Amino acid sequence: MLRHKLLFGVLGACAILLFGILVGIAILLSGVLSTAATEQHSAFTHWLLDTGLRYSLDANSEGIVAPALTGTAMIERGRSCFRAHCVHCHGAPALARQPHGLGMMPIPNDLTEAARDWPPGWLYYVTAKGVRMTGMPAWEFRLSDADLWATVAFLKKLPGLSRAEYQELARLPQQTNCRTDTAATARVAESYDEEERGQIVLRQYACHACHRIEGVVGPDTSVGPALVDWRNRRYIAGTLPNTPENLARWITDPAGVSPGTLMPDLGVSQAHAREMADFLFSEE
Amino acid sequence: MTPTRAAGMSSLVAAGIVLGACAQSGRDAPVVARGDAERGRAALIALECGACHRIPGIPGARGTVGPLLDGYREQVYVAGRIPNEPDALVAWIRNAPSLDPGTAMPDLDVSEAEARDIAAYLYR
Repeated sequence: MLRHKLLFGVLGACAILLFGILVGIAILLSGVLSTAATEQHSAFTHWLLDTGLRYSLDANSEGIVAPALTGTAMIERGRSCFRAHCVHCHGAPALARQPHGLGMMPIPNDLTEAARDWPPGWLYYVTAKGVRMTGMPAWEFRLSDADLWATVAFLKKLPGLSRAEYQELARLPQQTNCRTDTAATARVAESYDEEERGQIVLRQYACHACHRIEGVVGPDTSVGPALVDWRNRRYIAGTLPNTPENLARWITDPAGVSPGTLMPDLGVSQAHAREMADFLFSEE
Repeated sequence: MTPTRAAGMSSLVAAGIVLGACAQSGRDAPVVARGDAERGRAALIALECGACHRIPGIPGARGTVGPLLDGYREQVYVAGRIPNEPDALVAWIRNAPSLDPGTAMPDLDVSEAEARDIAAYLYR
């Protein structure tokens, strides 16, 4: 008897679980869930995501040791980086953000509060790695480690700025000394597991926005050719014999290899192009 | 809820899902004027396009010199440079080097009618 009760209990639980999953799928396919950025999260969803972010930052920034965040040169450099890459979306007190920072959902927060309250390791980690399912990109492939820490150093000064100093930010020339140090950003890939590296580098240059790529999860796109079974392809862009060296050359200079091609020059460093090429050639 | 009733409800929902899952957003096959997919299939075999391309439905077409040609109607560009519309594809099939001098695809001396048939097959 007891055995039967247990069996029915388990079967019932499975049936209810299955029913729940099917209801979820039905809601998804009915289209009633809006993806419009004009809709807001429920307070619970917002709390869930915000709490998840904080705990994730806390866990993942463990062991990150901040350098001394002082010195005029460092803060000046961080200010340039903030001006060049952050202020468009985040704005600052007394400084309105650009249009793309206005209509986003979730909204990019004003950074003065996080700058005051968050440990430098959190600020560094969130800037370097970005935040999934928000508009926050990972910057570590764009900004060197020194630039990232300089940005954190400036962020720590941000809450103390005067109205005039905030507004002066907007008048800083776009031409900044927050320069991409390609040699330094190229080394970033090495911090990732060898198995994952190629896939991460490809995604960090948005390759999967136009190509379907084996081993990379992304849109079902047909803008560029699908990069499947790559090692067996004989030509790159229908013109260059397919070797890892030539593939890296194509990636760094598409128009130089095939004038008229619509594949853009994405500013991929030689080292990153090789990572991409090796990954594509390693596909079984 | 008893297991049987839950299972019954689940299958009802599942049926609803199958009926409701129709939010497809793929491209309709472009129409190639005077193109005939069946004749195109014969032309693809006769011209041995499969020596360089992998083409679904064509026996032995497993070439790796050129790109694979499955799902071609979805492809946004021909040869990475010309919007993928019937006339462009026909022109490319007829004389690829005239559109991209650097391409490895040769001028195959394909007639306009054959090219239209081939395009119709690739878009089918």
